[in-house]
Amino acid sequence: MNAATGRLTGPKEELLQQLVASASTEELYWIQGYVAALLDRSGQSETTALIKPEKITLVYGTETGNSKKVATDLAARARKENLSVKLVSLDQYRLTDLTKEENLFVVISTQGDGEPPVAAQKFYEHIHLNGFRLDQLRYGVLALGDSSYPLFCKTGEDVDTQLQKLGAQRAIPLRKCDLDFEADANKWYDELVKVVRSPRSVQLPQAATAISSATTLRKKAVYEGTVLSHTELTDHGSNKNIWHIEIQAEDVAYEAGDAIGIIPENDRQVVQKIIADSGLTDDTVFTYKEEQYTLHELLLKKLSLQNLSEKFSEKFAVITGAHVPKQKSDLLSLLEQYPVKGKEKWQELIYAVPALAPRIYTIASAPAMHGNEIHLTVEKHHFENNGKAQTGLCTGWMEAWKTGDTVSFFVQKNKRFRLPASGAAPLIMIGPGTGIAPFRSFIGERTGTGANGYNWLFFAGEKYTTDFLYQTDLQDMYHTGTLHKVSVAFEKEFAGEKTITDLIRKEAKSIAALLESGAYLYISGEKEPMSREVEKLLLDIITEHITGAEEAAIALLEQWKNEGRYCKDVY
Amino acid sequence: MSDKSAIEKIKEASEHLRGSLKESLQDEITGAIRDDDQAVVKFHGMYMQDDRDRREERAAKRLERLYSYMIRLRLPGGLLTPEQWLAVYDVAGEYGTGVIKITSRQTLQLHGILKSEIKPTIQAFQLAKLDSIATCGDINRNVLCSSHPGQSPLHAEIFSYADKISRLLMPKTKAYYEIWLDEEVLLDKKEEEDPLYQERYLPRKFKIGIAIPPNNDVDALANDIGLIAIIEDEKLKGFNIAVGGGLSSTHGNPETYPRLATVIGFVDTEEKLLKAVYEVVTIQRDFGNRSDRKRARLKYTLDTMGVEAFVKELEKRTGFSLEPAKPYTFTSRGDYYGWKQSVDGKWHYTLLVENGRITDDETQALKTALREVALTGKALFHFTCTQNVILSGVAEADKPVLDEILVRFGVKAKTEESSLIRRNAMACVAFPTCPLALAEAQRYLPSLIDKIEPLLAKYELEKEPITIRMTGCPNGCARSYAAEIGLVGTAYGKYNLQLGGDRVGERLNAIYKENIGEAEILAELEPLFAAYATNRKTGETFGDFMLRRNG
Repeated sequence: MNAATGRLTGPKEELLQQLVASASTEELYWIQGYVAALLDRSGQSETTALIKPEKITLVYGTETGNSKKVATDLAARARKENLSVKLVSLDQYRLTDLTKEENLFVVISTQGDGEPPVAAQKFYEHIHLNGFRLDQLRYGVLALGDSSYPLFCKTGEDVDTQLQKLGAQRAIPLRKCDLDFEADANKWYDELVKVVRSPRSVQLPQAATAISSATTLRKKAVYEGTVLSHTELTDHGSNKNIWHIEIQAEDVAYEAGDAIGIIPENDRQVVQKIIADSGLTDDTVFTYKEEQYTLHELLLKKLSLQNLSEKFSEKFAVITGAHVPKQKSDLLSLLEQYPVKGKEKWQELIYAVPALAPRIYTIASAPAMHGNEIHLTVEKHHFENNGKAQTGLCTGWMEAWKTGDTVSFFVQKNKRFRLPASGAAPLIMIGPGTGIAPFRSFIGERTGTGANGYNWLFFAGEKYTTDFLYQTDLQDMYHTGTLHKVSVAFEKEFAGEKTITDLIRKEAKSIAALLESGAYLYISGEKEPMSREVEKLLLDIITEHITGAEEAAIALLEQWKNEGRYCKDVY
Repeated sequence: MSDKSAIEKIKEASEHLRGSLKESLQDEITGAIRDDDQAVVKFHGMYMQDDRDRREERAAKRLERLYSYMIRLRLPGGLLTPEQWLAVYDVAGEYGTGVIKITSRQTLQLHGILKSEIKPTIQAFQLAKLDSIATCGDINRNVLCSSHPGQSPLHAEIFSYADKISRLLMPKTKAYYEIWLDEEVLLDKKEEEDPLYQERYLPRKFKIGIAIPPNNDVDALANDIGLIAIIEDEKLKGFNIAVGGGLSSTHGNPETYPRLATVIGFVDTEEKLLKAVYEVVTIQRDFGNRSDRKRARLKYTLDTMGVEAFVKELEKRTGFSLEPAKPYTFTSRGDYYGWKQSVDGKWHYTLLVENGRITDDETQALKTALREVALTGKALFHFTCTQNVILSGVAEADKPVLDEILVRFGVKAKTEESSLIRRNAMACVAFPTCPLALAEAQRYLPSLIDKIEPLLAKYELEKEPITIRMTGCPNGCARSYAAEIGLVGTAYGKYNLQLGGDRVGERLNAIYKENIGEAEILAELEPLFAAYATNRKTGETFGDFMLRRNG
């Protein structure tokens, strides 16, 4: 080895060349993972740190799929060349992001009579509005069209002109391509790369707020954020309701794998009813945990009003002096039967009512990919209480969130659920249902930082057409080479495996091989029964393919757990 | 000649229509199949489609388009046994939208089949001896034949040609069996050498129809090859051959146009007929335009070569001369609704299926009724080119049983109480699944007819069987260019109003008003109906009147 450069020479180099030449892609990933694990163990991973590439957003507006194909291919190439690319279809692009973008490149087709594709209609209309400026933006447009139509590439021309009118800097000239678009697309890409690798000539405004480092923040500091978007991921016909929520918070710092805690609000109608019955007013002030609050504030944001324990009903009996049977209950129904009157009794009651507990949601976004946004994957919680169908307090409240609402939350660190230090280590991520959330974050983080390790995701849901969470995100990650393998299982509408355990069983050999090469293993989602069943199955796989004995498998899994190579985020 | 089109390259590289379909079926991350396979799969009788109504909402949900597949059966002449009907009924209950659609080419198709359901669907069809080979794609499609068995004592004899021609022009590849039915991969590739299609197949779709005059129910002249049975002295003498029909065109492209087939001659034996048909196909294979798909149908090949040169080439290839065409007359183009008896004493009931959609709705339980009929085993199922069903070959003694079923489920009432214009109407699929649709068709035409009926009544024209046909784009699947009133979609809610076609399929209509919506369509039609009611000559059809009026 040449000590100065670290380059292999002579027989060692030949040996490596031979090995690499005969290896399959899967084997190359194995080797990559093996070496990464060695480096990790010897504490040298820091030396492989990558230069953070400039961020590009590549958007496409497609009708027939050509623009999508071009954009996806270009994004894949760019990522291989260590550029950080966010690839978004224009019908999924958040128009409010436009004023924040720095590098926007557009691949867009033109339909029949010079019309934009349906998927790009909203974007097209938006940039034709006045009232905002895009001085921070540099851009380029690749226009696809069919020269047998008179208004050839009209939409691309319009977008190109309009972005300039809005103050954006045209970084590369508009390029129009006909039905055989490949050569032109490649030329456009070369220009794009040249531009983003060279220093910018526009003066960027100072970033609004510098993100302070995590350590300087007070523990559990409460942040305020703005809801940017709120969409249901599950489609009509699903038995579930799962939302994707995006929150912007300027000064928040988190890492991939972290969660946020949200303190829900109680139902305002219930609060009003309780206050009306109490004979007190909204603004009656009480002391609670050494601070002063109005009754309305307490009932809305501090006290738990639903699903109170039997123990509470005993305390309630003492306060009211009534004969209250031991029962699980809601505060409102108790008060309707056994009214509490007067400020003094109420102060006693307030001390007795349990506090409203925060709900914890694992973050689905990544700092390196999504900046100061926090994305959540939230499933509406349905349950029965005394035979009545009810909705979970927090998810029911979050369901009603609207774009523009202000919400408060704190960051819940999760140090036991982290990406490996080495960007080259392979990952096996098992996340059925909403368990997918942290893995969207992991892959996003690896994409954003240019980490190029092998990423393998396992996902499961009920129905293929309605419950495939983040399907288009995963497709983009897969087609641009940042997610290397996606294994999915669905109980219905699917020809492959039905459950997550079936799926893992089918892939047992490959999983074992990857684990032996130093892969990191993650499970996220329901604790019971999913994580227990998966863990049991993994032990079987390790026993069969690695250790030969179950005890050794248990010991090995325990060792990985201690090393941070086997992590669970289950609930 | 310019470069071959992309589709040509896909066909040639597909290893006899295999493409990467097996891999596409394994792509679990998507309900779609790979781009090139979307072209290949058509040759297996399927189209990949998506619910266009749901695109925007699904994109917001980060779900891909709601992809599904339309599967179309190969039914030469459009005939099923009752057992086969029950098999189709069961498959439609298990997979897809549940609606069984009769096409304008005498076959059945199911929509909304998910990728994971294709193989089980094809396998269930196979058990019922049904397949979907070559019902889409650049190849000879389902062969048509006049459908009503009572139309001629020679019907069965003529009908058998549909199957003979279909088999003659089947591709030799075993890809269908390997991919969908898990049959073993063919090792000896010689077994599927295909002298007809070679590795390139045809430049474009290819359609054949056989008509038995005087009824032109198959719209023979709208086919690439139209065969007209010539009957003299109650014997089948042979067939007139017409070539170069085709109704599709492209808006704004004057190089494209609908065209009726040209009658080029007569053949008198089965051997000659099959030889001539085969060689027309090879001429199209060798001379057809493979660079511009919009100009690739046989009609353009014919017009480029000229009819005379075409016939010369055909005679060179067949080794015999065509005889001069025999005289024939078409006097009608449509179905014989209700009970009709054929000379062999059997009964046949033709029932109306609006736009060919077999389903149960509030007016009639058609799908259930047809199941009940099939369960009796007393009738065969014929499908017509106007998207209707004939329950055929019913013995005198069984007629009351079937009649009772048709009455019980409201089918007879729907058939016999519908207006003439509704009975003769036809629309293509269009939204939400057809990727070509610019405007609505089958979802919309019934409600438009609701508004046209009172206008006809106002001018006492209810007894006129005026033909109205609507297509959601200019491709003409519902043969709207060959109707007295044609509506061709141009944009959402907008149509070209085409008038002046004849009633039997021998004269196309012409554009009367471009790009108009419902209110304008009705406003244009009303004064024309009024003028027709007042000024028509005896026996003059609306289409003929419009031609005389506008010249």
